[in-house]
Amino acid sequence: MSEPIKRLRRPALWTAGAVLLLALPFYLDRFWLQAGLFAMAAAIGAIGLNLLTGATGQLSMGHAFFLAVGAYGYCVLAGDSTATLTGLNLPSWLAAVLAVALAGVAGGLFSPIAGRLQGAYLGIATLALIFIGQHVLFNAHDLTGGFNGRDVPPLSLFGVTFDESELLVAAVPFGSAEKLWYVALLALAGCALFARGVLRGRPGRAMNAIRDHRIAAGVMGVPVARYRAGVFVLSSMYAGLAGVLLALVFQRTVPEYFGMILSLEYLAMIVIGGLGSVAGAVVGAVFVSLLPQLLTRYSDALPLVSAPGTGGVAPGEASRYLYGAAVVAVVLFLPGGLVRPALRRKTTTPGE
Amino acid sequence: MSTGAPTLEVRDLTVRFAGLTALDGIGFTVRPGTVHAVIGPNGAGKSTCFNVLSGVYRATSGSVRFGGEELTGLPAHRIADLGVARTFQNLALPPGATVEDSLMLGRHRLTRTGFVAAGLGLPYAVREEARHRERVREIAAFVGLEDQLARPAGTLPYGQQKLAELARALCMEPKLLLLDEPVAGMTAGERRATAAVVAGVRDSLGISIVLVEHDMGVVMRLADSVTVLDFGRLIADGTPASVQSDPAVVRAYLGEEATS
Ligand SMILES: Nc1ncnc2c1ncn2[C@@H]1O[C@H](COP(=O)(O)OP(=O)(O)O)[C@@H](O)[C@H]1O
Ligand SMILES: [Mg+2]
Repeated sequence: MSEPIKRLRRPALWTAGAVLLLALPFYLDRFWLQAGLFAMAAAIGAIGLNLLTGATGQLSMGHAFFLAVGAYGYCVLAGDSTATLTGLNLPSWLAAVLAVALAGVAGGLFSPIAGRLQGAYLGIATLALIFIGQHVLFNAHDLTGGFNGRDVPPLSLFGVTFDESELLVAAVPFGSAEKLWYVALLALAGCALFARGVLRGRPGRAMNAIRDHRIAAGVMGVPVARYRAGVFVLSSMYAGLAGVLLALVFQRTVPEYFGMILSLEYLAMIVIGGLGSVAGAVVGAVFVSLLPQLLTRYSDALPLVSAPGTGGVAPGEASRYLYGAAVVAVVLFLPGGLVRPALRRKTTTPGE
Repeated sequence: MSTGAPTLEVRDLTVRFAGLTALDGIGFTVRPGTVHAVIGPNGAGKSTCFNVLSGVYRATSGSVRFGGEELTGLPAHRIADLGVARTFQNLALPPGATVEDSLMLGRHRLTRTGFVAAGLGLPYAVREEARHRERVREIAAFVGLEDQLARPAGTLPYGQQKLAELARALCMEPKLLLLDEPVAGMTAGERRATAAVVAGVRDSLGISIVLVEHDMGVVMRLADSVTVLDFGRLIADGTPASVQSDPAVVRAYLGEEATS
């Protein structure tokens, strides 16, 4: 009697979750929709980083660079040419696809280094990407708009433009956030399923083998350098897509956002959520990106936290302390991250 | 399964680590389909020899020929592609993965699914996965691990972990199998079972085996020929019986005898 019920529980939970996520734009206000969109974009980027760092054991500090390539790539490819800015004026869906490809190419250019360096050494080398990225973003004015950044052209897909022109769906006005919600949800679902397939299949086993025992991986026939390079490219493309989505949500890209702190935030996401798994990346991304929003929304109700500029601890800052503490707590007490609290420190290393 | 395992020829192999000569011009030949034991006291250079054969260490000089191929200079994964499999003296199993997934890693060189096919779950990738899981279960049954497939490899008793590593090497369908102390740390019962598995591999699969082992009972029972190393030098080479009565070997093993 209870067997079929147990077997139905998982699909039932997934269906309920999917319905809930699909219905949210009808109920949430703009603030929470933005926050949710932000979390979904971050989740895509975190899945990519978890493929590289969690599943393959290759540290990257350069994730923010590839997010920037995606975000700015989209702006340049889809944007109009003006007196001060270069734009190729491509159809926006094509620009989005090409921006992801561009992030992949950027990852490919770095992959000879990513293939040769191991673990923490790669982390140090990828710091260079942040510095190069920041320099270019601030100085290549005609591409990036320099310090002030540039506007993000709205996405249009199948004749629907994801801007503020309101569409009435079941008597609920759909602005850009509502419409983008479904694009982001679809992108996240696709990215999550793809990564899950990779992790559970032959490439995932090879990646985990490289992380757990590099020498044995080679002896078992895994071309270690080629795999590291391949995963690096894949993870760059995930970051590129996350960058495109973030740009669409923010509607403006600014260079200082894509700094070292952003790379650290993505690392915090996968450590907090759980290294090496898709669910870990998603949970961590939701945690790290919603925390500052929660603190902002309820700053007056919380002790010590106050609205920005009023003298107390600003919400952004407070959330950084909080997830800094969360990272330490997870590393010490929950090596499997939030998604696998049962995992004990001694028995296994983090991973699928 | 092909029985045409090529001959392995090691010639004048020298390996030096900063100041220490771990292997000093050793050479031996492993005829197809035979079990060749490499024995010697701790530190004699046996594992170093395996590390060169499998591409983990670079030889300082000398040659290793396997069929028509020169192995020195090839990266580990290319040597694996030629059908050379090995186990490690100290376990090299992933701690978290199930036994079945650990064995599936052995199928890496025999499968083709890449990132895109796995990510999209293409039918060919699904079929390939199912086919090779089937074979993995057969091999697990062959070594007696069929009931442990769903368990994380790290939770098995030590002896069974060693067996799982042997099974993973067999999953590569090798032509040459290098076993580094396969029964070390095992109970008497596990030793007997593992020796029977190795004998079964030789008899039914016809692959060549190089065996490093301190357990003389196992060596004498399984080996067709024996090479004895001491401090990186070859001190004897021949049939188990002739090597056992060699005075140089007896001298090298004095004091070892009590512990093994
Ligand atoms: N990577 C290495 N670096 C330096 N010395 C090594 C290395 N590997 C092995 N050795 C040395 O080479 C010698 C032979 O070691 P090894 O091949 O492990 O012996 P055995 O397996 O016969 O016990 C030992 O003196 C050991 O310390
Ligand atoms: Mg040894």
